[in-house]
Amino acid sequence: MVDRYSFSLTTFSPQGKLVQIEHALAAVNQGITSVGIKATNGIVIATEKKTPSPLVDISSFDKVSRVCDSIGVVYSGMGPDARLLVNEARKAAQKYRRVYAQDPPLPILVKDVAAVMQEYTQSGGVRPFGVSLLIAGYDHHGPALYQVDPSGAFFPWKATAIGKNMISARTFLEKRYSPRLEIEDAVHTAILTLKEGFEGVMDEKNIEIGVAQMQEGMSRTGEKVQEVIFRVLTPLEVRDYLANLS
Amino acid sequence: MEYNGSAVMAMKGDGCVAIAADRRFGVQALTLGTEFQKIFQMNKYTFVGLAGLASDVITLSDQLRYKVKMYELREERPISPETFAHLASSSLYEKRFGPWFVEPIIAGLDPKTGEPFIASTDLIGCINFAKDFVVSGTANSQMYGMCESLWEPNLGPEDLFETISQAMLNAIDRDCIAGWGAVVHVITKDKIVTKHLKGRMD
Amino acid sequence: MEVLFGITGKDFALLAADTNQARSIVVLKRGEDRTVDLNRHTALAYTGDPGDAIHFTEYIAANVRLNEIRHGHEASPNAVAKYTRNALAGYLRTRQAYHINMLIAGVDKTSGAPALYWSDHLANMTALPFAAHGYASYFCMSTMDRLWRPNLTLEEAIIVLQKCVAALKTRFVASLPEFKVKVIDKSGIRVIDVKFEK
Repeated sequence: MVDRYSFSLTTFSPQGKLVQIEHALAAVNQGITSVGIKATNGIVIATEKKTPSPLVDISSFDKVSRVCDSIGVVYSGMGPDARLLVNEARKAAQKYRRVYAQDPPLPILVKDVAAVMQEYTQSGGVRPFGVSLLIAGYDHHGPALYQVDPSGAFFPWKATAIGKNMISARTFLEKRYSPRLEIEDAVHTAILTLKEGFEGVMDEKNIEIGVAQMQEGMSRTGEKVQEVIFRVLTPLEVRDYLANLS
Repeated sequence: MEYNGSAVMAMKGDGCVAIAADRRFGVQALTLGTEFQKIFQMNKYTFVGLAGLASDVITLSDQLRYKVKMYELREERPISPETFAHLASSSLYEKRFGPWFVEPIIAGLDPKTGEPFIASTDLIGCINFAKDFVVSGTANSQMYGMCESLWEPNLGPEDLFETISQAMLNAIDRDCIAGWGAVVHVITKDKIVTKHLKGRMD
Repeated sequence: MEVLFGITGKDFALLAADTNQARSIVVLKRGEDRTVDLNRHTALAYTGDPGDAIHFTEYIAANVRLNEIRHGHEASPNAVAKYTRNALAGYLRTRQAYHINMLIAGVDKTSGAPALYWSDHLANMTALPFAAHGYASYFCMSTMDRLWRPNLTLEEAIIVLQKCVAALKTRFVASLPEFKVKVIDKSGIRVIDVKFEK
């Protein structure tokens, strides 16, 4: 065997590395780019929708998913792996709702998802997930954005990118990001970040954007209250953003 | 529910809440002790009163305390009384077909806004949110009568204490298996006042 | 028809259990010991289904001992009582629920402060200054209400116990000729011989 330390997940190499996890991260870095930006009054996550053939009906598959009313997620890497995680995240959110009658705060949901990903780095007969996630929602201070990696490590970000163009996108975000950014500008910045290194012409069909924001809702007693809503923008809304851009 | 006998109630005031319970420990008509704890402090602003089978009062209070401590470590913030009510409710419903014989009363202030909150649930966790008062225990009909006639909106902490004390003392005088003294906690944003009331000790 | 008493005093706690082993209307045995020492400063007296009671108290005694060996620390009467209650409550909603009523008495080994816990078969538990189980509670709680006061000496506590037994002799249908009496204080647990009037 050429490399004796890549056959088992649970074997550390003499350098103290778990190489399978590093390989998983390499898979993520080949994945399609996703970005996330925290604004003062919301969070945006966005990604490119790439298809192997123009014959694929692009309108009927989604890469930005809603976990619960207030939380959304986007991934870079392997689609099938991401779907399993989204499913686990949705179950975790509903389990929390069943007990506390409210959506989980973002850090709690992130820890639940990260725990699933960590489990797949230490169990027998499994491989790590070939995805990194960007999870958007609110914690008890305000808007929050987390990245979760195949190792189960997670990081809170003001703005970040994952996937193929991660490095150039992050450099772009470092230049463009401001802590006073409002959500409309954040959506624009997200689109511009995706445009860096975008192959072909960007339109409302080949990108997907999700936004978490405070909205007016109704309380148990029928009073008006502010609540966090995550939603995926419709192609029409995306088209308007793209039109405003040029 | 009638094995031990109990009376617990809570009332909302202006920026404050009060929770009260009797202190009897007895088995049917036989009174054994007069210092039994039925109200438990879950965190700075959240109290729960448990009326019903004394054994389950102890078991459930321990279990709820464990759950609250774990919640507060996990979420790094105090549990709000409203969230606690849902936690208590789901804990009770978990045992829907072999229930704890306990009907809790929850009282507290929201740790962020200071908003008063009271609620009661039945033994399988059906929550009753109220904006005036909640009662639970063998003396519940007497307590409803007393609260109905004494409570009024926007009472300050001192008036609320007087109101809940009179409602409690006069209700338990008409229940043979609840009473033998009572305890009252008045919860305001900056302090908790606990007073023991001496009732008819017969 | 089984009877237990517990009385706390200034720096001791006292347990008394009648020694009749009876089933229905038949006395099977006299001189049955219904007390168990749980550690050097905590003892337990029980009534209830004899099979359940022996099995459960042996289980508790063994586990209290095991915990003491594991942690190198003698549990307080409070800890022992709460452990016992939790064990009993854990079995309550199973098919092996133990039918056992208990008095657990002890003293804090350093301060000598006494403690007495009353528990029934539903794992209802409370700390009391004096307590009784069985029919004795209907006859004797009022006797103890009148005679008990804080800081009793052992001699005074024995008199309270004798008066309780006298009350049973006068008004209770069953005859309970003998009691096993244990005193727990800082120096440990000892059996004392108490004379009851015939």
